[in-house]
Formats: sequence, structure tokens, C-alpha cells
Amino acid sequence: MTIIDEPALETPDHGTPPVWGEPSAHVTIDGIAVMVPPGTSVMRAAKIAGIDVPKLCATDSLKAFGSCRLCLVEVEGMRGTPASCTTPCTDGMVVSTRTEQVQQLRRGVMELYLSDHPTDCAGCERGNCEMQGLAHDVGLAEVRYGFGGASHLDEAVDQSNPYFAYDPKACIVCSRCVRACSETQGTFALTVQGRGFDSRITAGGTDFLSSECVSCGACVQACPTDALTEKSVIQLGMPSRTVITTCAYCGVGCSFKAEVQGSGDATRVVRMVPWKDGGANEGHSCVKGRFAYGYASHRDRQLSPMVRDSIDDEWQVVSWEEAITRVAEGFLALREKHGVGSIGGISSSRCTNEEVYVVQKMVRAAFGNNNIDTCARVCHSPTGYGLNHAFGTSAGTQDFASVEQADVMLVIGANPTDAHPVFASRMKKRLRAGAKAIVADPRRIDLVRSPHVEAALHLPVRPGTNVAFVNAMCHVIVTEGLWNEPFVRERCENADDYLAFIARPEHSPEATQDVTGIPASDLRSAARLFAAGPNSAIYYGLGVTEHSQGSTMVMGMANLALLTGNLGREGVGVNPLRGQNNVQGSCDMGSFPHELPGYRHVSRPEVREIYESLWGVTLQAEPGLRIPNMFDSAIGGSFKGLYVQGEDIAQSDPNTTHVEAALRAMELVVVHDLFLNETARFAHVFLPGASFLEKDGTFTNAERRINRVRPVMPSRVGKDEWQVVCEIATAMGYPMSYAAPSQIMDEIAATTPTFAGVSFTRLDAEGSMQWPVTQAAPHGTPTMHVGSFVRGLGQLTPTVYVPTTERANRRFPLVLTTGRILSQYNVGAQTRRTPNSTWHPEDVLEIHPSDAELRGVASGDVVELSSRVGTTRLTALVSDRMPAGVVYTTFHHPVTGANVVTTENSDWATNCPEYKVTAVQVQVVTQTARAQAGAEADRPSDAGAPVPQPVAGRS
Amino acid sequence: MSTDVPAVVRMGHDLVRNLGHLPAEQATMEIATHIRKFWEPRMRHELLARIRWGDTTLHPLLVAAAGDLVDGEVDRAEIREPSGG
Repeated sequence: MTIIDEPALETPDHGTPPVWGEPSAHVTIDGIAVMVPPGTSVMRAAKIAGIDVPKLCATDSLKAFGSCRLCLVEVEGMRGTPASCTTPCTDGMVVSTRTEQVQQLRRGVMELYLSDHPTDCAGCERGNCEMQGLAHDVGLAEVRYGFGGASHLDEAVDQSNPYFAYDPKACIVCSRCVRACSETQGTFALTVQGRGFDSRITAGGTDFLSSECVSCGACVQACPTDALTEKSVIQLGMPSRTVITTCAYCGVGCSFKAEVQGSGDATRVVRMVPWKDGGANEGHSCVKGRFAYGYASHRDRQLSPMVRDSIDDEWQVVSWEEAITRVAEGFLALREKHGVGSIGGISSSRCTNEEVYVVQKMVRAAFGNNNIDTCARVCHSPTGYGLNHAFGTSAGTQDFASVEQADVMLVIGANPTDAHPVFASRMKKRLRAGAKAIVADPRRIDLVRSPHVEAALHLPVRPGTNVAFVNAMCHVIVTEGLWNEPFVRERCENADDYLAFIARPEHSPEATQDVTGIPASDLRSAARLFAAGPNSAIYYGLGVTEHSQGSTMVMGMANLALLTGNLGREGVGVNPLRGQNNVQGSCDMGSFPHELPGYRHVSRPEVREIYESLWGVTLQAEPGLRIPNMFDSAIGGSFKGLYVQGEDIAQSDPNTTHVEAALRAMELVVVHDLFLNETARFAHVFLPGASFLEKDGTFTNAERRINRVRPVMPSRVGKDEWQVVCEIATAMGYPMSYAAPSQIMDEIAATTPTFAGVSFTRLDAEGSMQWPVTQAAPHGTPTMHVGSFVRGLGQLTPTVYVPTTERANRRFPLVLTTGRILSQYNVGAQTRRTPNSTWHPEDVLEIHPSDAELRGVASGDVVELSSRVGTTRLTALVSDRMPAGVVYTTFHHPVTGANVVTTENSDWATNCPEYKVTAVQVQVVTQTARAQAGAEADRPSDAGAPVPQPVAGRS
Repeated sequence: MSTDVPAVVRMGHDLVRNLGHLPAEQATMEIATHIRKFWEPRMRHELLARIRWGDTTLHPLLVAAAGDLVDGEVDRAEIREPSGG
């Protein structure tokens, strides 16, 4: 498959999903012979033969429904005129799609449809309504019924959803939307209400916004008329061209067609349509990627470089040249005065691989040290540590498609319906097909129970006790003889030590239930279910890693997979659900202070030699500072300058007071970002960044899939981010330049074995590839550790449970855990600047009814949330989704700043913050409205911040 | 409050808590190797300085592991394989 520069706006629709198998059935359609897998629908076979059979209710992302009666055909030897969408091909079948009888039937059906449909096609927003095309196709010249009788032409439009409108007048009740909502998305928010003429689509009897609809847009995409249409299309008209690119939100990495009008600086995005051939998403999307791209053109977007001498001064707009000179001279001066280790950089997990690569190169070659880190520090660094220790690779073992072969899914510390919604849709599809879920999470997340999905077991594991839980699982599997001995003996090392360790009675469910809060009988059931499989997969998120034993727990899960032989094939594996669009890539590109690209320790001379000879510098052999250590060293006085690319550490990192003190202690803070964020409050230089719509590069998602990010429009700030970084390095005395981002990837491929076969050309040809891409695996590696692990044998590691030092006590009797919500993303810098705030305008504190009653808290009260390090105020929501003793909030809004209360506690191996366990107290604030208004007045607003005007004399 | 505990002490004691279940010699080696692989030199120097100053809050295992650290050197033989994260 080759990606052309300007792919056609319309993607071929084969009418029904493919059937997998050998194309062994010979079928003749309108005299044209074609071979298809037996069971393929006649409609799809006709499309393959180049014949379009008229259709309205059929689309190839949904199972055949056979309701519209337009796709009728004649089949030799078969009576009547069956629907081609629901008729499977058999060997030797002969089909006629356009006999006189069939055409007459179609005209009759279309006439009926059009008798209750607006006929002012010029007013149709869609511009490519399938109804209009079909009317011509069947040769319908007039509607004999007239328009005077009963109709639905006076029904009101539902404008409640901020992104799309539902116009019932144009609805033909083909039910594509209903089926998309159920089959593709799995939310079941839509239904057909009534019967016969009274049949209407409804969102559960209410408007879309008030319903269960999650605004994924699948219904809009499926709709063949303009009944469901994007408001952006209504406002702007239809797009004229398309660019295929990759979403910049979560770690699923959905592929989109950016459909635009205009070109160059006049380019305007009309809509983002999920790309059917996207390897990660296969034509589906969520509310963020599909609709929340407007932040890229928000008025808050800072488009000019700015400088100031002190963080108390006003910003001054300057030229790029002046800003880059200021940065370079500043870092050089600090290095001269305070030593080579006094400066460093933080690369973004939202920027491209190419951009991140040049940042770590700038730090290593121009700064002269290894003080480079990335936001994976605060999310999945334990994944890298633990999986590398166990298997030899710092990444998940499968691709997303593997879930379709899973029989049992163990979901630990993850809420995929909110944080990885497109992948969650695939999980739910598999669960509806009969797979079983074990959910280990303190919260009753949607996967526990939602339409047509119910977890076999919900294990509400107490925050901070994951290792005790996974040890108990493994204990049961070993002591009940459920482990896969041949796999363990053949493919693992340290087996005897581990088996003796885990069989000890202190690891039993009975011995650990008071610690974990999981009844022993439930845990034994879960362990037996997981061991039985036959294909059991582990999916996990930050509820695993953001703990003081995050790395230990990752190794514990690896032990569980190794013990049961659930590795090295589809349907199994250890699958980290990585949060950000390119956090995997950022790690791959050497954004860690102890590793060069490809996870090779800086102490290894043969690895340094590769880069030293290419870069022409001598590299440091010692590890550099991690982000938390940068803060500590800043407060200690030895770390003075920081370049921060695309990260808002003042909002996202724990113990906000400590972070702010560290930033204040530095003499030069450079923020390279889209907006003036919380970190920019402490910055001396602001460099405007480019949104994903302006980037040219690659992202790597949670399944190691490298996807192209193609520029939809030129950079709005006058430079690409990688160019800015190269110019800083050059100004510091280390010449660095590339002609294009593709050259950066070529350098990555030349120096990093797992990327050896990657190039922009190959990615354009293949669509995407999962690393490692090597001579042995020239098209990539969907499933890892087949036959042997990257390190040879899998490592079974005794995982001793060590309780966190952060414990609930008399002063702070509750435990706070944090997470994400569907409509907002990370610190909210992007999504808060879109209509997504309709669904989540503020972070709220979820509190169990018994805890609320004890404190006199009701939903809507403003409460004070305090820990040993800080205090903040939030609106309370009384909910039994959390167990008693645990409270929950999100971190999307800086005004409430959840990280004011999170602590310095971290994973012992990686310093990943223990966001999931903070001892807190909750109290009602008596002066609610006045107090909150006072708090907001003291903090700078992130919305509508005035853009500084150029100062006379500066360009 | 633990926020008053210096970071290198807190991090070092985290290592002791999580590796201290191993036999003493192995624990000492593992802790020393971890510090060698992941701690920036100034952090190691600070730990060694605290030992020289006679910081009595330091766990004996941590002190023993620090004794294995050679100032300014990274022993490649102990970096058996890379560790992401």
C-alpha cells in the first residue's frame, strides 16, 4: 500500500466487513469473474470486481443488516431477489446486479425514501449525500407520492453536541449510526425508537449531550445523509483535500485524514476523519482526536518568541534570532560559571521522534552532559525498567490486534474507556464476543459493568498493594499446579528460586487479603481464570507504574505471564497502555539520562563510539539527572538552567510547591510550547512551538507502531521545532543541521539497531511499522519474544511486597488516587481550549458516601483536600465508584492543581512519582463561593491571556 | 516530615527497602550497581560526603553499597545489560 501525497477524500466502501481466508470461491458478477474467500458477501465481491451495488444501510465497518432493500440482486438458481449484503458467496455463484426487475425494485424503494426526505440538495451540508447519488444511479426522475402527506420534515435539529448536529428530517433510519455506536464504539447510546413509519433514531430518549453518547463520531462517519453532520462542515463547507496524519493525544496513535480547505498559510482544517487503513485504530476515533483539534488555532496560541530578564517582568516579543541567541548565550554562561552539569533539558512525549532525538542530541553534544529526561519519568518509566529486566525490551509485547485473540484480559490500574478509548472499543468488542475480563482497580471503572460488558471479577485492590496482589495470583497458580511447566523450564531462568519464593504462605490470598482488600476467594477465582486462558493477556496503566513499587509490579506481572506461558503469540502478553502519543518514541530516542537511543547505557564505550564518531564530540559516560533530581539539584544550587520542550512540569509533576521552588531557583528556564502554561510562569525565554498539524515526522504508539505525522499546514510560528533546537545547538558552538526531518530519521535508523529498516519512504509504503524493524523483520514486529526473549531467557524475579511509606493516618485518614477522564487530556492545555470542556469544566473530587457523610460533604460542595505537602480546593462528587477510604480526582485543570497535594514519594528504581497513593484529609470549606473566587483571582488565567505586543525597536 | 529528608537519603533508603531482602552481599552489590547505573555523579558524591560526615541516619546496607562505589568511575562489567526507565 502506498500513501500518495493527496489521497482521495472518499475512501472505497466495500459494503460489508472482509471475511478472512483463502480466496477459493469462484464467483461471476455481471459477467466478471472474481475469487473471494467463501462467506464474503456478494456486495463485497461485486466491489472487488469493480461493480458498485447501490446501498444505504451497509458500510464495511459494520456487520450486514439487510434493511434498506436497495442492494437486491438476482442469483442464478436462487429464488427472489436477495439482499447482496447478507448473501454469502459460494463457489460457482452467478450474480446479476442490474436486471430490469432489480432496477425497478430499487427505483420503488428510493421513491419511498425520498417521499420523506428533504429534496433541497443544494442546502445539504454534506455535499456528498449518498441519497442524491443513489437517486441518479437508479434512474429516479420523480417521486410520485408527493410531499403532502405525513412526514418527518418538521422535526427539530438537535444541536446539543458541540461538534455535530442531528437533523431528523434527513434521517432515513438506516440504523448505521445505531450499529456504529454498538458494534464499533460499544457504547450503545443510540437506538431506533418506534416501529414502521414512526421509527426514529434516538439517543436514549434525550438529546445527544444529555445521553450516554461519548461523542466519538462513529455515527457521524457512518451516516449516509446529512442527518448527522459535523458542525465544522456546516460552517465551513466541504473539504477539498486530505492529508493522512496521526493523532497527538493518547498512546493509541489513531491515524486520521485531516480534511482541509485551502493551502499554505490559508489552510483550514474542516474535519478530522479516522483513516480506515490506520493500523492502530482501523477507522475509529474518540472525541479528542476526532473533534478536539481547535486548540491549534486558539487565540491563546503564542506565535512569537518572547524573553524577559526576570520572571517578575512582563514578556517582550523578540525575533527568533534574538531569542535563540539569548538561550545559547545563557546556557553557555551558566556552564562556564557553574559547570557542565548545571544545565539540562526535558524532551516532550508529545513531539515527534525526530524532534525528541535532536533535543537529546543537543543536550549530549552541545550542552555536554546527559541531563536529558522525558515525561515518561512520571508515567511509564517502571515499564521500561521492569520489562527490560524480565524480557530484554522496554516495551509492550503485542500489537493492539492481539486483543482479538484474547480469551481472558487482566486489566490492572487502567481505565481504557477513558484513557485509551479506541483501544477500549476493541476490548469491549472482544468481551462481547465471549472473552472474560478481570479488573483489578480500586474504582468501579466502566469495564466492570457497562452495556453488554461485565467483568467476570472486579478486584478493588487497595492503592499501594499491587505487588501483594500479583504475588497472591502467582502463589495460587504455582501451589495449585496451574503453571505452564514446559514453558517455564524451556524459556525462563531463575525458575527454582522464584517458585520457592512465591509458594511461601505469606503470599497466599488468605494471608494478603487484609492488605490488598481483595477477598481470598475472589483472588483464587481470578488466578484460576487467568491460568486457564487459554490466551490470557495483561493490560495495565499508570495504576501500576505510579507507585513506590511500580517497577516491582511490572516485574510481578511479567512473572505472571511467564508462569502461565502467555507470551510469544497473539492473544496474550504484557501490554502497557502508554498515555501520551509519543511517550514510547521519546523513550526509544534516548530521552533518558542513562541511555542513548535504543536503550543502550551511556557507559558502554562501543555505543558511545557510534555517536561520537557521527556527532564529532566526546560524550559523557556517566548518567545524568532525572527530572526529580534536576529539581533537587536546582534547590541545592548546582542546577541552573533548563530547556523544557512540550511539558508542563509545574502542573504535571508531583509536589507542586517543590517544583515551583526548583524553577524559581534556576537562572534560565526556557519553555518551548504552544501556550504560556504553568511552567512558563517561571520561564525567562518562551519559544513558540508547532502543533501536530504543522509537524513533519513520526510518533510511536503503545504497540511500538511508528506512524507518520504529516504537515497539514506550514508552521504557524515560522520555524519547525527541530530547526529551533538545531539552531540553539549551533549557536552554542555545536553546528547541527538537517535538510528535512526524514534525514533525522535516517540518522536514527543508521545508529539504532531496532530502527534499522525505518525511513519515511518505507513508512509511506507500509503505512506504519512496529519496531524492531530489522533485516530479520523487514516489515516490523507485531508480536515480540516469539521463540525466545530479546534477552534470551525470560527472567523470573522474586518480587517482595514492600508497603509504601505513604500511609493513611489519623491526620490524613483517606488515600487519594488520581487519573484521567475521556474528554480532557493530561494537563488539559490542549483540550481545555476546545469545546471538550463542555463535559469536564473542572476537576472534581470523587468521595464515597460513607466518607462524605462523616464529613458533612454533599455533591457540589467545595472541599479542601490536604496532604502533608499541600492543600487545594475542589468541588466534591459523592460517588460509590470508589471504595470507602479512597478519594479520586483528575489533574486536567491548573486552577485546582491536584499535584499541590501529591508527594515526593516515588518508585524505588525509576523515581516515577507515587501519584496513586497520597494520604489526605477532606473538609468542607465553609466560605465556599468567596474562597474559591479568591483563589482564582490569585492565579494567572490560562485562558485568554493577552498576547504581548511587540516593543518598539524589536522585530 | 519526610519532605525534609535529603533526596539521596530517601532514594537510597528506597533501594534498601526494596533490595534489602536479598542476602547482604548480594543486596550491597545490587544497590551499588543501581547507584552506579542511574545516579548522576553529584548524587553519588553527596551520598559519599554524608558518609564521610558521619550521617547516622544512613542504613548500614546503603553505607556498605556506597563503599563499593569508586568515585568518578563506572564499572562497565557491572552494567550487564541496559535498563529502560
